[in-house]
Amino acid sequence: MNIENTSSQMRKGILEFCILSIIKQEEAYPSDIIEKMKTANLHIFEGTLYPLLTRLKNAEMLTYRWVESNSGPPRKYFSLTEKGAGFYKELESTWNELNNAVKMVIKQQ
Amino acid sequence: MKQVININYHGRIIPIEVTAFELLKRYTESLQKHFTDEEGKDEIINDIENRISELLQETINKGAVCITDDNLNTVIKSMGRPEDFDEVFTAKENSQTDKKENNITAPNKRLFRSENEKLIGGVCGGLANYFGIDVVLVRIIFIILAFSFGVGLIPYLILWIATPSSAVKEIGGVRKKLYRDGENKIAGGVCSGIANYFGINPWIPRAVFILASLSIVFNGNGYHHQIEMFSPGALFIYIICWLVIPEAKTTSEKLQMKGEKVDMNSIKKNIADELKGVQEKVQQAGAETTQLVTKKSTSFFREGIDFVKKIISGAVKIIVFVIKAFVYTVLAIIGIALIISLFSLSFAALAVFPMRTFLISDGWQNVFAWGILLFFILAPVIGIITWIIRKIAGVKGSNKFVTLSFWSLFIIGIMSVIGFVFTMSADFKSTNIKTEEQVLLTNPAVNKLIITYPNEMDTKDDVGFIFSAFMNSYGDDTAYIDNVSIKFRKSPNDSFKVMLSKMSNGKNRQEANAAAAQIQFNIIQKDSLLILDKGIRITRKNKFRNQRLLMTVYVPVGKEVSINNTFELSNDDIFTSQFPKVHEKSEDESTSGKVYMMQQDGLHELIINKE
Repeated sequence: MNIENTSSQMRKGILEFCILSIIKQEEAYPSDIIEKMKTANLHIFEGTLYPLLTRLKNAEMLTYRWVESNSGPPRKYFSLTEKGAGFYKELESTWNELNNAVKMVIKQQ
Repeated sequence: MKQVININYHGRIIPIEVTAFELLKRYTESLQKHFTDEEGKDEIINDIENRISELLQETINKGAVCITDDNLNTVIKSMGRPEDFDEVFTAKENSQTDKKENNITAPNKRLFRSENEKLIGGVCGGLANYFGIDVVLVRIIFIILAFSFGVGLIPYLILWIATPSSAVKEIGGVRKKLYRDGENKIAGGVCSGIANYFGINPWIPRAVFILASLSIVFNGNGYHHQIEMFSPGALFIYIICWLVIPEAKTTSEKLQMKGEKVDMNSIKKNIADELKGVQEKVQQAGAETTQLVTKKSTSFFREGIDFVKKIISGAVKIIVFVIKAFVYTVLAIIGIALIISLFSLSFAALAVFPMRTFLISDGWQNVFAWGILLFFILAPVIGIITWIIRKIAGVKGSNKFVTLSFWSLFIIGIMSVIGFVFTMSADFKSTNIKTEEQVLLTNPAVNKLIITYPNEMDTKDDVGFIFSAFMNSYGDDTAYIDNVSIKFRKSPNDSFKVMLSKMSNGKNRQEANAAAAQIQFNIIQKDSLLILDKGIRITRKNKFRNQRLLMTVYVPVGKEVSINNTFELSNDDIFTSQFPKVHEKSEDESTSGKVYMMQQDGLHELIINKE
């Protein structure tokens, strides 16, 4: 069994949740998201983020607007839609359940 | 030697080595391949390319002459290759090597102020990052240093000023510039502009300016704290800042001011405004051309008028600005003065308050007195302080409940004042029947009489600032009031005679008479000195009912009289004005130290040649 792969799978599962959570706190520019993930010690490739954001946007979870930038063309700033907020809540409760469950299981050992 | 080409990559002109350009093309192709089946393929690739272009621009801005292979590889590394995308998170080992590589490429680790971890200026966060320790630890160290004689403050400020913000370093970070913030202003937007620049709450610079403009002087003696109005220095600096710092007007200026992004709406608005301006110009130009066609000669004239108009409007703008600055200054002075007087009034009220028993009878008056103190004086003070703090802190909207309760408390205060004045005036309604008694003089035949007060008055028991005018001194159960006026008359014979009439108010005539009879006022003659008591004694039983004394001194013709006292109030205070007729001399002049001689036609001042 490939341990690296397992933990990668685990991280993959929560990536969406993390990104939604960051965007939920504040309208965010992709590199902001990367930066915030980094400070939380979650390192991702930026190349991973863009497709994910586009997918979430196409699923109407996210919306974006163009914001003027000093250093060039405007940037996309993402925010949650109502649907996205609902989705986030579901994810959140799932996460909490899982978290508690896992903790319990670990404790019992 | 490598060839460099300029490419227009998503709106940015990037000088790039040909080999690096080939790498970039290959990378883009690999992305195209990877996302072939993806629904929003074009958008994703567009976004990624956009970001790459931004990162490349950033590299150029940092001083690279052009994009080299290494530069591009670094960028691609942070974006990730398609084969990495499935891995989602870069593995830990990866990030560690990342760090190592960073260290190699950037061996000079630099100290930045942290934009992510900041409470005030991000200095602690920056230090923590630099030394790799916890921010909280650094903060605690600084706080301890700050409390030990402010040692920590100076290095903090120096670091704040000297170290660049991490916003400069971070990719896509925006350099800040100091602008006045017109949108978030109280006076000129200087403070909020400064706050924007340092990324702090606007009330910090505001408080600094306000505190700096009030210089409070404490005299060692606890009673005499004066607030020396305000020092114009801070205001002067503010006005200079106002004049010097430009206001952020365009969107990009606003961006620079905050180091942030302004949303699309404001850009739209901005553009709309500009378009409007263009429209107007076009219309104007149209009008002008028609005129040009019809009357060529007038166009020259018109230009001249336009030029003059421009000058005039410029001058008007300057005048308006100066007037505005002046008005704001005056308003600020008035406001500060009002607040200070309100505060001193409340201090005074608090200090006077223990003395109320000299004045009021029990029961309702006491209730009214408390009502005045709490609701008429303290409630507005607290309310105003709250208001100022909220204003300074930029709290918007108001708590209706709080506002309402302040106003209702204040109304209770006003009612207390009315009730107090009403009951008080009832207590002062009547006056006594005047009686005059003669003061026995041990030697009425002296040639000169010097009326004097004991000097102890201004030493002990002085409650300080405003009361000296009202009460000389007061102890636990006695207060002295300075309600004595003196008039001079011609004596029918050649000896001095002093008559004293005691007067008082009261609820009715009997009470007024009783209060007048209670007045004890000692007058002792020692040779040519006539020593008066230090005041009319008021006790807690014997309330203040405007007890007053009128002392008439009959001066024989040819003899001299003078009032000799360092205590200025004794001859010319507010209470003597009640008897304008009895004074032989005009009251404007201080009679202290002057020597008068009684002559047949009245009292004359003797001009003494100073030696």
